[in-house]
Amino acid sequence: MSIIKEAELPGLGKKFEISLENGDRVAVVIHDEGTREVYYFPEGEDDPLSGVTMTDQEARQVGSIISGSFYQPRVLEKLETAVAELKIEWLEVRDNSPVAGKNIGELGLRKNHSITVIAVIEDKRKGKTLINPGPSYVFTPGHTVVAAGTKDKMKQFEELLQKSPAEEDDR
Amino acid sequence: MSPNMILNLGLAFTFISLAIYISNKIKFSSIPFLILVGMLVGPHAPEVSGISLALVQRTESIDLLSRLGVLLMLFYLGLEFSAGKLAATGPALFKGGTVYVGLNFVRGLVFGRLFFQNWPEAFVVAGITGISSSAIITKLLVDLKRTANPETEFILGIMVFEDVFLAIYLSVLSGLLFSGGHLAAWDIIPGIALIFLFIISIIVLGRRIGALLEPRLSIKSAESFVVIVFTMLLLTAVLVETIHIAEAIGALLLGLVLAETVHSKRVIQFITPMRDLFGAVFFFAFGLEIDYRLFGNAVYITLAAVLMTVLGNIFTGLLASWLAGYKARRGFNVAFTIIARGEFAVIVASLAVTAGVSQVLPAFAALYVLILAFISPVLAKQSRSFYQAYTRVVDLIPRPGVSSGKEN
Repeated sequence: MSIIKEAELPGLGKKFEISLENGDRVAVVIHDEGTREVYYFPEGEDDPLSGVTMTDQEARQVGSIISGSFYQPRVLEKLETAVAELKIEWLEVRDNSPVAGKNIGELGLRKNHSITVIAVIEDKRKGKTLINPGPSYVFTPGHTVVAAGTKDKMKQFEELLQKSPAEEDDR
Repeated sequence: MSPNMILNLGLAFTFISLAIYISNKIKFSSIPFLILVGMLVGPHAPEVSGISLALVQRTESIDLLSRLGVLLMLFYLGLEFSAGKLAATGPALFKGGTVYVGLNFVRGLVFGRLFFQNWPEAFVVAGITGISSSAIITKLLVDLKRTANPETEFILGIMVFEDVFLAIYLSVLSGLLFSGGHLAAWDIIPGIALIFLFIISIIVLGRRIGALLEPRLSIKSAESFVVIVFTMLLLTAVLVETIHIAEAIGALLLGLVLAETVHSKRVIQFITPMRDLFGAVFFFAFGLEIDYRLFGNAVYITLAAVLMTVLGNIFTGLLASWLAGYKARRGFNVAFTIIARGEFAVIVASLAVTAGVSQVLPAFAALYVLILAFISPVLAKQSRSFYQAYTRVVDLIPRPGVSSGKEN
């Protein structure tokens, strides 16, 4: 694991310095007004070789790409399911989903399906999100649901959200 | 009269905007530009081919705004500061910072005594030349992309140190100034001691007082919040004035108290735009008062002061970073960056003028800030070349070492 050093930069913000396994260091400066700076220090150097400056929003986007929320490296995907049975997925509510129009409480998601809804993205473009929705949240087509549960339960939940009512009858 | 007043204010803000716009365009601190523009369009403006450029009068309204500017700047300084931050700085910084601030101040005091021949002025000069401009230096560090360098923590730590020093310095200064510059030690010392005690107790008890205020400030409405905070600021200024402490210090103290509450971030958010706006008026108004024709006697003293500051600061900066355990190369970055002087030099000078200590001081401070503002970015940018020059000299050591900046 890498070592992270934290330092206060009074009047400017905060600095996080990450020592990588190969000896290089990466420093992230978070300014109080939101700007981020990332600097690269080659092994043994005290002056940065290069750096980038990002706005708050750009930094969040880059950050979520690095953390793997859009695309996970394959090695990790396997590892994750193998180690912990937990899965977290982003699922869109389809128009013809049988749960559309029903709320979390009446479906009894946690009790009947062992599924926890962590967040709901109501509008992807506007970035309108609902964190930790209550039992009164109504599943609405077009929304994206972020849910957690074990692997097989999640599979069932995914089908519930995304298949048509006709198919459900065969069950 | 009233349309003229608005016209005057409108003109003033036009020039203020122009100065700030230009300074941002060429990536420079706005403080020297505001002073310069103030000088060029104020009552003492030059005449260009028979037409006087004196477009802006120093009216009561400009005075009021500039006074608010000082209050807000010091209020902000207090808000930004927290005892926790100081405690987190660690022993290395403590050693380096104390030596740096102490030596700089003593140097300024000696310089002031030599050139101005009396102690009150020497004390003011020490303040003007001793306290770096955290605004200019922070901007420099960002522009030079040095925010992540190891020595930057140290540089910004020194700035925090100087803020503490500034609070104490201003308290002594206001004691000195309220006594009208009479130098009967017995008259002043009790007053200074009282203010000093008062300030220390606010710093120590800040959290307690903050805890008292905290629930009372939990106001949802942004409108009520900003109005109440501003009222508190004005009332504190009035209150401390009645017990003979400069209003600016009252603002600083209120800032220190509020910094210890959970509301500090919110207050900073509301105060920052006001500080920028009225602070700009303050620097501009400071420029309005300055008559460049009277520079004559001040020029040589100012040049000497600049030389002393640059050489002295290189020495104290290197010494402080050496004490804090930084290598010579880092030390050069520290020493050549912290030379800039700005807002505090101007604030100290204007406080001294209000109290009538000296009439030469504003011209001195303006010229001093102007010169240093233009020299210091160059020095900071070139710190590496200075370091290389230094290593070359060290390599040729046989001659008894006289290096570029090592002299005191």
